[in-house]
Amino acid sequence: MTGATQTSPTGPQAAPSVRQPTAQWAQGPAVPVVSVLISLALGAVFVLISGHNPIDAYAALLLGAFGSPYDISETLVIAVPLTLAGLSVAVAFRTGLFNIGAQGQLLVGALAAGAVGARFADLPGILLLPLTLAAGVLAGAGYGAIAGYLKATRGVNEVITTIMQNYIVVFVMHWLLQNGPMSAPNALGTPASAPIGAGAILPIVIPNEIVPLSRLHAGILLAIVAVVVFWFLLWRTSLGYELRAVGLGARAAAQAGIDPKRRMVLVMAIAGGFAGLAGMIQVSGVFHRVFDGFSAGFGFDAIAVALLGKNSPVGVALAGLLFAAFARGGTIMQSNASISSHLVEVVEAIVLFVIAAEAIVRAIADRRGTPAEALA
Amino acid sequence: MKRVLAFALISTFVVAACGGGGTGGGGGATIKVGLVTDVGGLNDKSFNSLANTGRLDAEKDLKVQTSVIESKKQEDYVPNLTTFAQQKYDLVIAVGFLMTNATWKVAKQFPDVKFAIIDGAPANDKGDSENLPNVANLFFKEQEAGYLVGVIAATMAKDKVGKATHNTVCSMGGIPIPPVDRYIAGYQDAVKTVSPSTTILNGYSNDFVDQAKGKEVGLNHISKNCDILFQVAGGSGLGYIAAAKEKGVYAIGVDADQADVAPGTVITSALKRVNKAVYDTIKAVTDKTYKSGDNFFSASNDGVGYGKLDAVVPASAKSAADQALADIKSGKIKPKDTVQVK
Amino acid sequence: MEVLLGAGVLAATLRLATPIALAGLGGVITERSGVVNIALEGCMLVGAFFGILVADKTGSLPLALVAALAAGAALAALHALASITFRADQIVSGMALNILALGLTSYLDYELYGTTGTPADLPLIPDLSLPIAGIPLVGEALARQNVAVWVTVVLVVLLQLYLFRTVPGLRLRAVGEHPRAADTVGIDVRMTRYWAVLASGALAALGGVYLSLGVSGSFTDGMTNGKGFIGLAAMIFGRWTPVGALIAALLFGYGDALSVSLQGASIGDFRFPVQLLSTIPYLLTIFAVAGFVGRSRPPAADGIPYEKEGH
Repeated sequence: MTGATQTSPTGPQAAPSVRQPTAQWAQGPAVPVVSVLISLALGAVFVLISGHNPIDAYAALLLGAFGSPYDISETLVIAVPLTLAGLSVAVAFRTGLFNIGAQGQLLVGALAAGAVGARFADLPGILLLPLTLAAGVLAGAGYGAIAGYLKATRGVNEVITTIMQNYIVVFVMHWLLQNGPMSAPNALGTPASAPIGAGAILPIVIPNEIVPLSRLHAGILLAIVAVVVFWFLLWRTSLGYELRAVGLGARAAAQAGIDPKRRMVLVMAIAGGFAGLAGMIQVSGVFHRVFDGFSAGFGFDAIAVALLGKNSPVGVALAGLLFAAFARGGTIMQSNASISSHLVEVVEAIVLFVIAAEAIVRAIADRRGTPAEALA
Repeated sequence: MKRVLAFALISTFVVAACGGGGTGGGGGATIKVGLVTDVGGLNDKSFNSLANTGRLDAEKDLKVQTSVIESKKQEDYVPNLTTFAQQKYDLVIAVGFLMTNATWKVAKQFPDVKFAIIDGAPANDKGDSENLPNVANLFFKEQEAGYLVGVIAATMAKDKVGKATHNTVCSMGGIPIPPVDRYIAGYQDAVKTVSPSTTILNGYSNDFVDQAKGKEVGLNHISKNCDILFQVAGGSGLGYIAAAKEKGVYAIGVDADQADVAPGTVITSALKRVNKAVYDTIKAVTDKTYKSGDNFFSASNDGVGYGKLDAVVPASAKSAADQALADIKSGKIKPKDTVQVK
Repeated sequence: MEVLLGAGVLAATLRLATPIALAGLGGVITERSGVVNIALEGCMLVGAFFGILVADKTGSLPLALVAALAAGAALAALHALASITFRADQIVSGMALNILALGLTSYLDYELYGTTGTPADLPLIPDLSLPIAGIPLVGEALARQNVAVWVTVVLVVLLQLYLFRTVPGLRLRAVGEHPRAADTVGIDVRMTRYWAVLASGALAALGGVYLSLGVSGSFTDGMTNGKGFIGLAAMIFGRWTPVGALIAALLFGYGDALSVSLQGASIGDFRFPVQLLSTIPYLLTIFAVAGFVGRSRPPAADGIPYEKEGH
C-alpha cells in the first residue's frame, strides 16, 4: 500500500486475498458458523428489546426466504442482479479499485437494454435477445470505463467519479422517462419506457406445474455463466493474472512488468459490464420495460456482497444469496410476524458486522490474544 | 461451503424449535386485509402513512385482521402482493400508482382475491389500462383539492392578508408525474380564476426525500416574492414548508393535514383522504358492497378537501373555498388537471 | 447573471455545503490517522435522529446537540472497535454500520413517531444575523446564515491548524503515514486512532443534526440522502485537508444551488429540463477533479490495521 498511488482510493487495505478460493474455505467451518450464530443471537436480543419474539422473527425470516418453492424462487430472483452487481464490485476490488458505481452502471445497462429492446421489438428472439444483452453489457461497460479512463489519465479517484456517476444517471433516467425521448405514453401511471419486444424477454425457467407463479427467469443462467466467466477471467487468463498482480500492489505489478494504468480502463469496463448485465436482466427478465426508479439499492448492497464474499466467485454468489434471503425473508417477517421491515436491516447489519469482525470470533476461539491477520 | 453449512445448521435449529411460525390463513369468519406500500415506506408522513392509518382504523372499528408489507424496491411489488394473495387474504390493497402493472399480474392469477389500487387502475404488460373484475381502482381528483387550496391562496394573495403582501403564490412538486401535477394544476387553475393578477411560480425538487433541496427551492421562490408555498413533494416538501417558516410567510400542506408541521405557517392543506378510501374499501368488502373498476374519491364524496385553516386565514377565504367546494360538487366548476405554469 | 452569482445563490451554496463539509472533515480526521471510515453517512443519520429525539424529550437545544454528537461518536466507536482493536475489514465494518444506522433510525422513527411525524416547534439551531447586508453580494450572502455554517468554517480553520501546525496534529498524521515509526517514538497509535474515529463520528453527526434541527426541523427516514458519501468524495477531492474538503464542499454546494436557481431560467425558448439541472453538482465535481485536482494520495497507512510487534 505504501506509495501506491493507483491502488485504493480512500485507502482500504490491499486487495483481499488472491489465494486460491478453496484454501480459504477449507480452513474449517467453525469461525464463520460461530460468527453467524453470534450475530443471530445479538439480533435476537435486539428483537427482544423491541418487544417482539425472536423465534417468530427468525422463523418468518427463514421461511420467507426458503420456506416454499415459491419463496426460494423469489429469493433467487433478487439474488441474480445482486450477485452480478457483487461481481462488478469484486472484480474491481481485485485490482485495488473501489467500484461504488455498480448502481449507476446497472441503470445505464438497463436503459440501453430497454431502448434497444423496444426499438427493434419486431426482430425475432434469436437476434433481439443477444442484441439487447450486448446493449446492456456494453453500455454498463462504457459507463464504467469512463471512471477507469479518468483515473488512468488524470488520476481522478474512482470513488469520486463513480459516486457522482450514480447520481447523474438517476437524474438522466428521470428526464428520459418522465418527459424525455424514452418516455412512452401509457396508463401505467408512472414514467416508463416502451415495452421491449417479445424476442428480448428472458423466459421463465421454472414451469408453472413445478412452482406456480414463479418469476425466476433465464437470467439465473446468465448469472451462473457470469460467475464462471469471473472465475475463468481471473484465474485462467493472463489478463486475470495481471489484474490480480496489480491488486497486490504496484511493486508486485512492476516486477511482473505490468503497467497498472493500462488495465484500469479495462477493469472498470469489465466491472461495468457485469453491472450492466444485471440491469439488462432486470429489464428482460422481470419488468420487460424500464420503470423510473426501479432496481433501487442493488449497487449499495453489492458492495457488502462483494466484501462478504471476499471477492471470490463462489463467495460473492453465496453472499448475494444471503442478502437476497434477508430481503425476501424480511417481507414475510413483516407480514407474518408484524415486525417492522427495518428490523431486518438491523439484523442484516449485525450479521455483516460480526462476520466482518470474524477476527473477534477467532480471538475468542484461539484465546491467544490478538488475531494474526485481518480479513484479507 | 462453510456458509451453506451455517445456514443449514441454523435452519434446522430454528424450524425444529418453533415448528413453523407465521400466522397463516385461519379461514373462518374474520376478514383479512393486506396493505402493500410502495417504496416510500410507512414513514412518509403523507401517502403511505395515510393508507396505513385507514387500515388501522378499519382494524379497530370493523374487527378485521390486517397486515402490512413495505416494499423496498419496485421488484418487490409482485411478490409482496402475491404473498398476501397466496395466504388467502380477502382484500389486498396496493398503495400507489407504481403498482398498476404488478396488481394486474397478481390479480389475474388470483381471481378469487379482491384487490384495490390507490391512485391507479390495473395496467397490462402493453401498458394499457385494463379493468379486472376483482380490482377496485381508487382514484382521487387531486385537482379538486388543489383548486380548493388555490382559492384560499388566491384570496389571501389578492387581498394582501397578513404577510402575503407580494401577490405571488407558488408550488413545488417532487417530480413531474400525474398525481403530483394534478394538485398543481388545480391550484394554478383556481389562482388564475380567482385572482388573475397574481403571479404564479412552480418548481420541482426532483426528490421526495431531500428536505434541504426542498428548502432551497422554497427560499428561491420566496426570493422571487412568493408568499404562499404549496408543497406537493412528500418529505422534500417538508423542507419547502421549512423555508416558509423561516422567512415568516405561508405554506400549504398536501395529502394529510399538515397543520401540525408548522403551526402559524401552514395555513391549510390539500387533503387526499387516502385513509378514508382504504377504510371505505375495507368496509365495502365486509358489507359485501365491493365494487370493482373505477371508484372516484372527490369532493362529492368527501374524498378530497381542504384542511384545518390557520387563524390568519380570513373568513372571506374560507367562504370562497366553501363556495368553490359546493360548485365542484355540483359540477359547476371542473378544475383543470394539466399544469399551466411549469 | 443574478441566477448564476446572485447573493441568493451564494447564500444557498453555504447552506448546502455545510453538511458535506462536516462529513468531509470527519473523513479527513479519521483517514489522516490511518482509519477508513465510510460509516460517516450512518453517523450523520444517527446524529440527525437523536438530535431530534432529545430535542423533543427535553426541549433543550444544547442537550440535543450533545446527544447528536454522542450518537455519532457511539456509532463510530463500534467502527473503531472493529477496525482498530479487532482489525476487521474497515470497509465492511463501515458498510455494516451504515445499514445499521438506516435500519435503526427508521425503526425508531416508526415506533416513536409513527404516522404522526416528529413534532413541530422543536428548538432549532438558530441563525446568526450580521449587520453586513450592506456589502453587496458577499455581505448579503453572509448576513443571515445558520450558526452551524459559521461553526463549520471555524472548525475547518481549527482543524487545518491542528493538523498542520501543532505537535498533536503532527503525531496524528504520523500515525497515519508511518505508524510503526510513530509507535517507536512512543506515540500510542491505537488511542490516537480511536480518538480520531470518535471525532469523525461526532463531526459527521453535527452535519446530520444540522440537517434535522437546522434546516428542516424534523426527521424523515434516510434524510441524509447520501451526503455522507459526498463528504467522502469532498475529502478525496480536497486532498485530505480540512480546507480542501471545505472548498470541495463549496463547489458541490454551488452546483446544487445552481440546480435550483436555474429552474425558472431560460435561454430564448429553451428551458433546462429540471431533472437534468440536478446533475450539475455531480458533473461539476467530476470536471473540477479531472481538470484541476488530478492525482491525490491518501495517507500511506490508510486503511491498514496496525499491529504492535511482539503482542
